Amino acid sequence: MDPILAEQAFELVDNRWIFRAGLGQYWMARRVAQRCTGFVPDDEDEQVDDEPRSCYNCQYRRWLVESVECLLLKNQHY
Amino acid sequence: MKNWLICIDDTDDIGTKGTGEIAEEIALLLENMSGGKASFVTRHQLFVHPDIPYTSHNSAMCFALRSPLTQAEIHHYAVAHLIAESAPRADPGIAILDLGSQYDATALMEFGRRAKTEVITKLAAYDLAERLNIQLTEHGGTGQGVIGALAGLGLRLMGSDGRVKGQIKLGQFEDVALELCVAEILELTGLDAVMSTERYPLAADERVLLKGKVKAVYLGHKFVLLVDRKAQTWRNAGKQALQAY
Repeated sequence: MDPILAEQAFELVDNRWIFRAGLGQYWMARRVAQRCTGFVPDDEDEQVDDEPRSCYNCQYRRWLVESVECLLLKNQHY
Repeated sequence: MKNWLICIDDTDDIGTKGTGEIAEEIALLLENMSGGKASFVTRHQLFVHPDIPYTSHNSAMCFALRSPLTQAEIHHYAVAHLIAESAPRADPGIAILDLGSQYDATALMEFGRRAKTEVITKLAAYDLAERLNIQLTEHGGTGQGVIGALAGLGLRLMGSDGRVKGQIKLGQFEDVALELCVAEILELTGLDAVMSTERYPLAADERVLLKGKVKAVYLGHKFVLLVDRKAQTWRNAGKQALQAY
């Protein structure tokens, strides 16, 4: 993911890149995933958005109580 | 023939074969080797909390099996496959319940309910399994998967939790819709009912337009296709509507 997009869409909190929009924000999750170069779809059984290319469907998203974190960004140390 | 519930958890890692696929393979394996019958696999969402070391989603996969195999045989074959297919960094666990045994179903369901909202320890899982005479074993890593495996049994027993693994493919695609009546859908899929998202059942002759990815849920102890009514037409519910299951 490019650094500018990462900064816009995710917030670094305690070494976790948290999706700023939170849960249920499908439009934003799709928009970010469309521009993300690291998107990889998770197992179909773990997908929750009807639009396949969505942060909520990515194998690098980790569900949290109030949002998702991006494990790809964490690994890239942005 | 005896009836069993089998549940596994924490078998995967990012980019590896999913727990649902492994559960489905174990179900098929046990079915084929014994002439038994396995149910659909259901996916049960557990608590996502910083203190729980799940990889990305924290869900358990459960299925029912009717089989002449002994518990020792079921455990042997299931564990062999679990070990062979789990990711190297996974923490797999498996739980096997003899549905014909005397066990405290209420306690098991309560454990499942708690695992959706609380952090639970391995010790608590093993304590309950021993008390209820449920076979609960871990097979690598931290073995944390035993918690979800036991919880998955409880949630499946509750009867209204979880999505059915996999998609229902009857010839519909993203851009090609297929219209069938409820009776045809049930006949072709093996599902038990078609219900509205408000949870009332459709009659056998009502027609449903299927399009894109079609998935079922476990509701009222039945495998159910959920549908929405849009523009006077019943359509399969989207993934967003199924996320609560």
